[in-house]
Amino acid sequence: MRLPLAIASLVVLIVHGVVFRNQFFHEWERHQAAYYEQARSMSKNDRERVELEARAPRIEQVIVTSFGDTRVDRCTTCHMGADDPRFAGHAEPLKAHPYSEATGDVQRNGRWERRHKFSDFGCTVCHDGQGRGLDTFYSHGEDEFWPEPLLGYVTQPNWRKDFGPKLKGREYMEANCAQCHTQEDFAGTPHVNRGRKLFYAMNCYGCHKIDGMSEGTLGPDLTEAGKKFKVDYLWESIVEPRANLATSFMPDFHLNQADVESLVIFLKSRRGVNFAETSLDRYKAHVANVAVVIPPGTAGEKAGEQLLGDRACTACHKLGDRDGGIAPDLSYEGLIRDDAWLGDHFLNPRSRVPDSIMPAFRFPADDFQKLSAYLESLKTPPAAADARTTFTNLCARCHGEKGDGNGKVAWYIDPSPRDFTKQGFLASKPRTRFIASIQEGVGGTSMPPWKRILKDDQISGVLDYVVQDFAKEPFKELKARNIPDENPVASSPESIAHGERMFLLRCTGCHGRKADGKGPNSLDILPHPRNFRNHWFVESVPDRRLFESIQYGVQGTAMPSWIDTFTPNDVGDIVNFIRSLQNARK
Amino acid sequence: MSTPTQEPRTALATLRELPQNVWNSIFRNPLPSTDLERASTSFTNFFLHIHPVKVNRNTLRPAYTMGLGLIATFLFVILVFTGVLLMFYYVPSTTQAYDRMLDLRGTVAFGIFLRNMHRWSAHGMVAIVFLHMCRVFFTGGYKKPREFNWVLGVLLLLVTLFLSFTGYLLPWDQLAFWAITVGTSIAGYAPLIGKQMQFVLLGDTTVGQEALLRFYVLHVAVLPSVLVLLMAIHFWRIRKDGGLSRPEKAASPAPDAGVVKLKKIYGLQGFVRGPFTKLGNVPDDSVYSWPNLLMAELFVFVLTISLILVVSLAFNAPLEQPVNVMHPPNPAKAPWYFLGLQELVSYSAFWGGIGIPGLMVAVLFLVPYIDRTTHGVGKWFAKERLLANTIFLTMVILNIIFIVIGTFFRGPNWTFVSPF
Repeated sequence: MRLPLAIASLVVLIVHGVVFRNQFFHEWERHQAAYYEQARSMSKNDRERVELEARAPRIEQVIVTSFGDTRVDRCTTCHMGADDPRFAGHAEPLKAHPYSEATGDVQRNGRWERRHKFSDFGCTVCHDGQGRGLDTFYSHGEDEFWPEPLLGYVTQPNWRKDFGPKLKGREYMEANCAQCHTQEDFAGTPHVNRGRKLFYAMNCYGCHKIDGMSEGTLGPDLTEAGKKFKVDYLWESIVEPRANLATSFMPDFHLNQADVESLVIFLKSRRGVNFAETSLDRYKAHVANVAVVIPPGTAGEKAGEQLLGDRACTACHKLGDRDGGIAPDLSYEGLIRDDAWLGDHFLNPRSRVPDSIMPAFRFPADDFQKLSAYLESLKTPPAAADARTTFTNLCARCHGEKGDGNGKVAWYIDPSPRDFTKQGFLASKPRTRFIASIQEGVGGTSMPPWKRILKDDQISGVLDYVVQDFAKEPFKELKARNIPDENPVASSPESIAHGERMFLLRCTGCHGRKADGKGPNSLDILPHPRNFRNHWFVESVPDRRLFESIQYGVQGTAMPSWIDTFTPNDVGDIVNFIRSLQNARK
Repeated sequence: MSTPTQEPRTALATLRELPQNVWNSIFRNPLPSTDLERASTSFTNFFLHIHPVKVNRNTLRPAYTMGLGLIATFLFVILVFTGVLLMFYYVPSTTQAYDRMLDLRGTVAFGIFLRNMHRWSAHGMVAIVFLHMCRVFFTGGYKKPREFNWVLGVLLLLVTLFLSFTGYLLPWDQLAFWAITVGTSIAGYAPLIGKQMQFVLLGDTTVGQEALLRFYVLHVAVLPSVLVLLMAIHFWRIRKDGGLSRPEKAASPAPDAGVVKLKKIYGLQGFVRGPFTKLGNVPDDSVYSWPNLLMAELFVFVLTISLILVVSLAFNAPLEQPVNVMHPPNPAKAPWYFLGLQELVSYSAFWGGIGIPGLMVAVLFLVPYIDRTTHGVGKWFAKERLLANTIFLTMVILNIIFIVIGTFFRGPNWTFVSPF
């Protein structure tokens, strides 16, 4: 027992020795000793020399309270020469902080004077890093958990190796300059300014909200992006949107490296309320933002085609061979939509397709006109082809190669594209209805009218192809159903009130209490339940169809038959209620 | 000036005898050389009188106890020592706690080392207390007359877990915040009183300033006091239950045992009944605590502290990002000793959070009252106890498996990932 005891005691002794050595001989003390020695040799008078000799190593710190929470910056414990011009030529950590007119330093009588005095600003306000630490690894933020590593100097070990070199450079510190210098054209922050312009020019604002700048709701709020995320994460999120969230539908904007860097620096500067702002400033910016006119694009004077490229429309839409894979094909827009539709849709996409996810971009009216004019000019129909090719070229993008309603962009489209493999649906509807849907489109949805692109025989060819290849069941003679063509119940306040009661009793689970198709069950249902607030759709369907859907259900969807529950009068009241929602809207 | 010649001699003698006098006034016994002195060393010293005068040889066998109870005690001593020193620097405030951690790591002398020691000792104590329980079970140590001490031991395990859990929040980093958020939501699954319990614990519906203050007070005042009290009773009961468990053979006194032969009954002791009456009943297979037991204790202590020191030198206690309430890590994991529960919670909130752990604790408490056989005491994995040991071992292994799965095999959204 004695030998192990002796060994263990020795271990205790050794560990104590190591710990005491670590605690009493610090790295920073060596730096300070070196500083005093060199300062002594450089000092010109004896008084200073004596003073320096009397100095013992100690922890130096600057306590800054003017910038947010109290900051304790002990950086000068190692960086002793930071404010000593004699150390300009020395190596780090004793090297003097450079003086520069760009940061506002001025030269008076041959002596530089700092604009940002270290005693007032500390170090971490501009540089980030961890002011309290006394050890290079932790105080420079090299430890992967520290949220603010030295901006532009330190890359943390868990960062992507392929970005690493791009995340270094003094320009990243502009993000901190912009905490106080919030002017949009501030000369000291060119990257932030450029990033801000890109934020508008690349339409980021359409999806992302930044308090006081934009109101987008599709993507994450970026108001505090600079506080929450490190530059590595920001860079990755821009160039590979799906790297962190596999379900993200943010498009890849194919930006060049300089643009990405500017955006990253701009986003890094978004840290919620800036030091220079009061909440009143923020409110004013928010109010002013309502009237923000987006600065005209670089090619404002050129044609809409150029504009369409500059405005990053094809980041989502398809046009010719450029395809963002999120939004509908614009290649034949001139044949599909008219000027009024385009104009309304540009100003507010939801005014035409109520469940569209397209943001309302605030371009100058002039730009919208040019864009509309360009889209109007796209009047070249595709070359005539057989039904299969036509389906692949025009329909598969939404309805899917296999006709299962699961095309490339289907996920982003609401109401969902129809699933043709559901035989019940096709078998229960007359052929004329499908022809009409293809020819005229479906109001309030992404299904466009194809009559000016496809000839009648092409349309019926595509329909035959769909029925044969996907539904695999020919049209049958439908059994005559006892359905009125017109609603037999006259609309009256009593009828509407009764219809609403019935609706609230039976329909809200899926269609929602607001009848907007977003009831609690709607998330699990594909296709999603109808939105009866979509007046373009509701007004395009006859009473007969509403009656049929309610009484007999819709095969191939989750809509059940209610014929045993509702009397024909109840159904009439419900139809009146649904119609009344559209009247109330006008 | 009456006896000037006498004065210096007496003063000098007094001075010369001073150290010896001071020593003797504190320690009444000289270093023992006879059995009587060895015995009185144990009971005349405040710190040593917790020991019996003599202990059974079996108690001193390292392979029997593995010193686990002692290790747990010494870890607690280290924890109190380092904890009190850390308290000088810590502020239980959401705005200051994390900064204090940075100061401890970067600026305070020995700060990082104290924190490392405290952290690793705390983890170690949870593990060792658990192992101690396993040791007692596998050697049948909970059997009559030691039933109640087993119950106290289970209570001590729970208090240890809770102490470690309350300490987990104090650094106020992401690791702490989300581990406690997960841990307290597990408590919230308890039927009827779950939500109220969670609220009382947190002082709020989420982890915040109130929770930090409550956890701090529990951690530095309430729970240590409870633990010390329970430990005192635990130790006292060891003596009163007749020492540590040992094989039946060793427990029965030899026919002619007895260093102290008694001819008459002494005072109140005459009325003492039960298995712990020692008078005239001293087994001969015992040795004096001084120096045998004390050397063993010293050995365990030095071993424990050297291990903790080495670990603390090699590994820094984790300190993650400052708390960000809006940005939970994925996955957010409870402290490792609760990860088995979290794994179970991922299957069923009620059964994982309350049902199974509640049942396990209830069964643990009742073990000595369910298993009333008296065989197989004092032997590891005794044949007579095959069934009980198998059941217990299965439980232990299952527990460890779940903890390992929860710790190493669970990635974002609690999906199965391979750590390799």
